[in-house]
Amino acid sequence: MSRSITLGQYFPGQSLVHHLNPRMKLLSLLLVLALLFSLQSYAGLVVLFFIALILITTTRVPFRYFLRGLRPILYIALFALIIYFFFTSGGVVLLRVGFITVESEGVREGTFIILRLVTLVFYSLLLTLTTTPLSLTYGLSYFLKPLRYIGMPTEEVAMIMAIALRFIPTLMEESQRLMRAQVSRGADFESGSIFRRAKSLVPLIVPLFVGAFRRADELALAMEARGYRIGARRTRMYEDSIAPRDWLILAVLLVLLITSVYLGF
Amino acid sequence: MFIGTEKLTHIYMPGTPFANQALKEVTFELSRGEFALVIGPSGSGKSTLIQHLNGLLRPSSGKVFFEGRAIGSDKAELLALRKRVGLVFQMPEEQFFSETVYDEIAFAPRNLGFEENIVQTMVEEALDEVGLDTTVLPKRHPFQLSSGQKRLVALASVLSSKPEVFILDEPTAGLDPSGRSNLYGLLKRLNRENGLTVLICTHHLDEAAALTDTVLVLQGGRLVLKGPAEKIFSHREQLYQLGLGLPAVTEIMYGLSEQGMKVRTNIYSLEGARQEINKLKGRCEK
Repeated sequence: MSRSITLGQYFPGQSLVHHLNPRMKLLSLLLVLALLFSLQSYAGLVVLFFIALILITTTRVPFRYFLRGLRPILYIALFALIIYFFFTSGGVVLLRVGFITVESEGVREGTFIILRLVTLVFYSLLLTLTTTPLSLTYGLSYFLKPLRYIGMPTEEVAMIMAIALRFIPTLMEESQRLMRAQVSRGADFESGSIFRRAKSLVPLIVPLFVGAFRRADELALAMEARGYRIGARRTRMYEDSIAPRDWLILAVLLVLLITSVYLGF
Repeated sequence: MFIGTEKLTHIYMPGTPFANQALKEVTFELSRGEFALVIGPSGSGKSTLIQHLNGLLRPSSGKVFFEGRAIGSDKAELLALRKRVGLVFQMPEEQFFSETVYDEIAFAPRNLGFEENIVQTMVEEALDEVGLDTTVLPKRHPFQLSSGQKRLVALASVLSSKPEVFILDEPTAGLDPSGRSNLYGLLKRLNRENGLTVLICTHHLDEAAALTDTVLVLQGGRLVLKGPAEKIFSHREQLYQLGLGLPAVTEIMYGLSEQGMKVRTNIYSLEGARQEINKLKGRCEK
């Protein structure tokens, strides 16, 4: 049953992108994003876009997952497109309806912005679709480590995040189970006024909370029994290693970024 | 056909990499008043199967029947179905949310739209059916009860809507021995005296085997064996291969028989074993 719930966006696979070190993947994404915003020329952007497409094909994650990821930016993109098309002047006039004109400069810039947005989303999805939420958390917590010196309990925060992630599927499964149990006792979660529907959630929320607290108690006890102490240094079951290829990718990206900034490419 | 399925297939999360075929072309039927057992290793699809029987899950393909009619998706019809086919989940006391035992048991009748005075008699009758006190207990908080009492209240909270089919998923999980035998006593009474059709999913055959008419054996989502209890339990080897085994008393009889003693091996209750061994003793003394 636990396999029946997707956690986060992770799509399992065996590709190179899947196997890259999560910390390095995070850093690489940052560099790619910086690169995307420093690029001034169409050519560079198109190259980055095609590299994204190639990487997407190698991951064997169905393309519709990436298209679905574009949905949230649909309206922003449309809005930007309209603004650029109608309100940027310069170049040849392509279309004239009354006093509104669409000029070639506007079309050029609008498409550039959209392509940049789409590429940005594709690269971000490449990270989240190929990395388990857990390794993402560990990757993030690694970069938060310096905050420890100004008194942030980073290890504990990482632990809290990892536990929260671990319990999302459990709680979802639990709520589904409860929902079915109550539905089989004639409960109706779907129809009625807002007030009625809110009230109908009581039989779901009360046992869900009771169960969550019971689980938290049991987990705390189990962790203490295994010697967990706040503030103690912990080692990890799976130490992630950084392979030469991780460094290589990072180096290439850095070089690209520096060249693009210096040459204004 | 009273209740059953025809080529029932269920796939969880179809079309994703997490797709999981939990049931594969399961066909069976039960007649009214039968006492049936669904056995199978963990993850064999038992819970998925029973959740189809009152329309909680929809088949990916195939059909589920109740009283000869295929279960549809009409809301009012489904509500009526859920009144007649009661389903008790695993560890049902974890679903409690009310402040009193009364409200907990009244949940189903109220959802079905009964008047409060009728609800009250339904609650009392349900408590009576499971053998609990109807004077003080209804006013208590369900979390104050013992685990055996909680389980009985959970059963009453489904029985209160007066189902004709009573389906239970691992009804004795987490109960002590006296709670277990009490619960099976109750199930026997409901089946033999009140005429309820009972269907149980379980790993623990000891108490259930003696009551059972029909056994369904699931493995990996497939119905691998079905038939009268006596016939199924004679497939000892196959049951062992599935990691299931037989009731302890039946094992003892097999053991005796292997030692060369002339006893029947189709014995599923302590009482039956006692009689059979007494017979053997009688023969030896002659």
